[in-house]
Amino acid sequence: MRLLHMVCLALLSTLSTSALSAVFTFTAIPDENESQLRTRFEKVALYLEKELGVEVKYVPVKSYSAAVTAFRNNQVQLAWFGGLSGVQARRLVPGSSAVAQGNEDQFFKSYFIAHKSADLIPSDSFPNLNGLTFTFGSKSSTSGRLMPQFFIERNLGKKSEDVFTRIGFSGDHSRTITQVQAGAYQVGAVNYKVWETAVENGTVDLEKVNVIWQSPAYPDYQWTVREGVDKKFGAGFKAKIEAALLGMKDPDLLKSFPRHSFVPAENADYEPIESVAKAIGLID
Amino acid sequence: MLRIENLTLKYEEKLAIRQLSLSIKAGEKLAIIGTSGAGKSTLLAHLYQCLKNDAAYSSQKQGLVEGLSTYHNVFMGSLSRHHWSYNLFNLVSPFKLPLSEVTLLCQELELDFPVSKRLSELSGGQRQRVALARALYQQKDIFIGDEPFSALDPLMSRRLLDMVFERHNTVIMVLHDKSLALEHFDRIIGLKQGQLHLDARQDELNSQLVDDFYSDVPPPAVSPILTGSDV
Amino acid sequence: MFKSLPFIGYWQKTTLSLWLIAAQCFYFADTEIISLDPWNEFRLMVEGFIRPDFFATEYLLEAMWQTVSFALLGVVFGLLWGAPLSLVYSNRFVATLCALTRSIHEIFWALLFLQIFGLSPITGILAIGLPYGATFARVFHDILLQSPKTTVQTLPYGTDKVSRYFYGRISHVLVPIMAYIRYRFECALRSSAVLGFIGMPTLGFYLETAFRQGHYHEGAALLMLFIALIGTISLWCRPRLIAVYFVAALFTLPSIPPVDGALLWRFITQDILPPALQNLSTWSQIDLGVMKSLSNWSLDLLVEQAFPGMIVTLLLALVSLAMAHGIAVAGSGLASSLLTGRFISKVTHACLLVIRSVPEYIFAFIFMMLLGPSMLPAMLALALHNGALIAYLTVRQSDTTQVGPHYNGRIDGYCYDVLPQIYPNLMGLLFYRFEVILRETAIFGILGIASLGFYIDSGFSEIRYSTALFLMGCTALLNIVVDIISRRLLTANTGTQISCARDSATRADR
Repeated sequence: MRLLHMVCLALLSTLSTSALSAVFTFTAIPDENESQLRTRFEKVALYLEKELGVEVKYVPVKSYSAAVTAFRNNQVQLAWFGGLSGVQARRLVPGSSAVAQGNEDQFFKSYFIAHKSADLIPSDSFPNLNGLTFTFGSKSSTSGRLMPQFFIERNLGKKSEDVFTRIGFSGDHSRTITQVQAGAYQVGAVNYKVWETAVENGTVDLEKVNVIWQSPAYPDYQWTVREGVDKKFGAGFKAKIEAALLGMKDPDLLKSFPRHSFVPAENADYEPIESVAKAIGLID
Repeated sequence: MLRIENLTLKYEEKLAIRQLSLSIKAGEKLAIIGTSGAGKSTLLAHLYQCLKNDAAYSSQKQGLVEGLSTYHNVFMGSLSRHHWSYNLFNLVSPFKLPLSEVTLLCQELELDFPVSKRLSELSGGQRQRVALARALYQQKDIFIGDEPFSALDPLMSRRLLDMVFERHNTVIMVLHDKSLALEHFDRIIGLKQGQLHLDARQDELNSQLVDDFYSDVPPPAVSPILTGSDV
Repeated sequence: MFKSLPFIGYWQKTTLSLWLIAAQCFYFADTEIISLDPWNEFRLMVEGFIRPDFFATEYLLEAMWQTVSFALLGVVFGLLWGAPLSLVYSNRFVATLCALTRSIHEIFWALLFLQIFGLSPITGILAIGLPYGATFARVFHDILLQSPKTTVQTLPYGTDKVSRYFYGRISHVLVPIMAYIRYRFECALRSSAVLGFIGMPTLGFYLETAFRQGHYHEGAALLMLFIALIGTISLWCRPRLIAVYFVAALFTLPSIPPVDGALLWRFITQDILPPALQNLSTWSQIDLGVMKSLSNWSLDLLVEQAFPGMIVTLLLALVSLAMAHGIAVAGSGLASSLLTGRFISKVTHACLLVIRSVPEYIFAFIFMMLLGPSMLPAMLALALHNGALIAYLTVRQSDTTQVGPHYNGRIDGYCYDVLPQIYPNLMGLLFYRFEVILRETAIFGILGIASLGFYIDSGFSEIRYSTALFLMGCTALLNIVVDIISRRLLTANTGTQISCARDSATRADR
């Protein structure tokens, strides 16, 4: 067994490129407005390159899980994660740490939105959703799935499958809004920032769909640095990254996330997310 | 050259040849006639199996390849003469020598089109001549042909038959055209329900005898073998 | 059941059975139409198609080129390992291996390789090449079997084995094999685009985003470009140019990110194991408790995900199959110049070409908007795409069909003269497509329909590789069982086809 182990390891290490190139790569989970994603994030890469003094590359990803995988496989060393995907990533790569979060992420929230035909009145108390149809956003989204599911199950005292006659995963927040507005689902859960941007842009018909409940605040998106960057890029590199992120003031760059500014964060900030994910059964 | 005795053969689970005895001498020009289903092709295939080292066989199933050019179809007659690597290379890019040989052969067979033409573009008569060309290109001593001229007009059949005779010492051929058989072959055998009902040299034969053979002669079970048991 | 009906032949029976089964499935399937207000979104979509915006997409040319390049490299890789295997495909082990590889959709292979190689071109090429190679092995083997044996029999005595094989067998099938490779290249272009949905840098990457986010002007433009790309294959994909494309594809591949051997090792020894087996260092640690939790784990998965997923997958596939049949029969009739005359047949032909080029995903997306999130949109999407494809292939046959001088060009004449001739082939194609339809239900899982694909996608997004792999195994098994059944039906078909051919031959003799 041990011998087999060694032989395979040797084989695999020869297969894989042994000389890891010294390019610093980062990714960001797709969220909100994805048009011109690469163009926008390549600007962020340029900024980081200037601040860090190494070559920086942006890797576009399509899904939360792809971002986590890239992080796990050391194909990116820095990632802009959601609350849940950050927890997943840090569990997979022990020693990694959250270094910064958006100012807004300290008290993030989800909106529940409903089509007018559902006859739900906006209120501070949790709405009675029994027997309705409901759509989450992406399966791994914190604000579109994890926290809404948690609040539903805690407030109504049963599994979400038992609450609704039909549950969907629209795939992302803007789709959730479109689908609820079209009446495909009666109620949906959405990232509050996406909703507010959509209302600002006038793409939402408030006659047809509106917010009926907003969730309590929870921590969400954050920058996570992979374990071992100091070893690979020199001592103090992690601190440099943190400083660069916190010092990102250009509104044009911040618009991509979209956040007003970044503030320090640490792993412990996300313990509530981890325990919620465990409670729901999304992680073991 | 070949002598078979009491031969019994099956074709698709049915008795095709029953207790047939026959001997063939080198240099003979032998025509086989008979109605459909008399067992001619089965006998011919058996003869080829016995003589395959020295014989070229032009089967009724021509075995031509639609997707290949005329040249390649003819060249296939010479596969056994070359190493496989030569054959494979030739499949991609024809060699000069066989190309000129095949071109010449095709001209002799009145196939007046470029040999690069795909087989699928040829007519029935042209195909039959390509199959014949392939058999000729095997350059063997014996030619065994199963109605190789059935799709051709009588005049051309005669010209091509001369070519076959010219290039082969022994010729064994199943023929439909009885006049062709009578005029050109030195020996004719007739098959009926798997048995030999006629075996005669050219000088012993005439058109009448052959007509009798085709028409209502007494049923096979009681009918004696006519002649030629001495060969 | 049909015994007392002497005029109901084999094909009528098959057709009736198919529709009966499908009707029952339809009854059990979730086909509720729930959509109160789709027209606003639909209006936006139509506007998008009227005024497509070709300049909204970043890196558009690169995405188009990468779509071609992934498809090309994937097909080449598939050929490299599939073609030699076709020679030994009669070996049962090889056949099973190929069936397993084939039965898993490209997108799942991609999701799996994504975990190993990350967002690397290797992921995309392997995801296309593996299932395609397995398909090549089977199809080439089938084609080889059909090649006439007469040539081998007439080759001169003493011809060596290699020459016999190449001149006698392969040369016969070269034309159908080249045609098949061409067809698969077209499929690979679609697959390559679909891989964009999960992150490969192909057209699908931007197409999916544009539709999902409601940028219909951009989405319409991308879709049109994609259809144009497929429709003009014969123009840009000349045999001579393929070598050039191949070299160019190799040189312009996105850079391959390094793979960390230790992580890869951890993936195959830890991450993909069921939770109970993770963290065990030696075999001796496996005891009754571990076995028990292992069996609980697999039982839970079976009951909660695998079986419900399989049922939905089958319902979806069967109903789609019957619908595709309807579309194929109607489509091939409309597109047949023997029935509708030159103009209508040309127009239908063009429609069929467009419909079969559109990825099912886009159809499902549009129908989902109109009809709500039940299984109906997926059924319609699968039926449209596959029905159009079958109709397209059938028309090619019906256009060469000979009709008697009494043929009247009306629907009755068509049903007497043409339809019986093309129907066996149409049904053969239909049953063959069933396997494909079953695989394609995968994509709808990612769209949210609770087929097996949905649970597999969930497994990957919850980073539960063992669950995903377990379910992929279930998918493979399901596909193989269905494959065996449809193969049985097909061989029964070809039997009758041959007898039909004989019938007509003898009739012609008289």
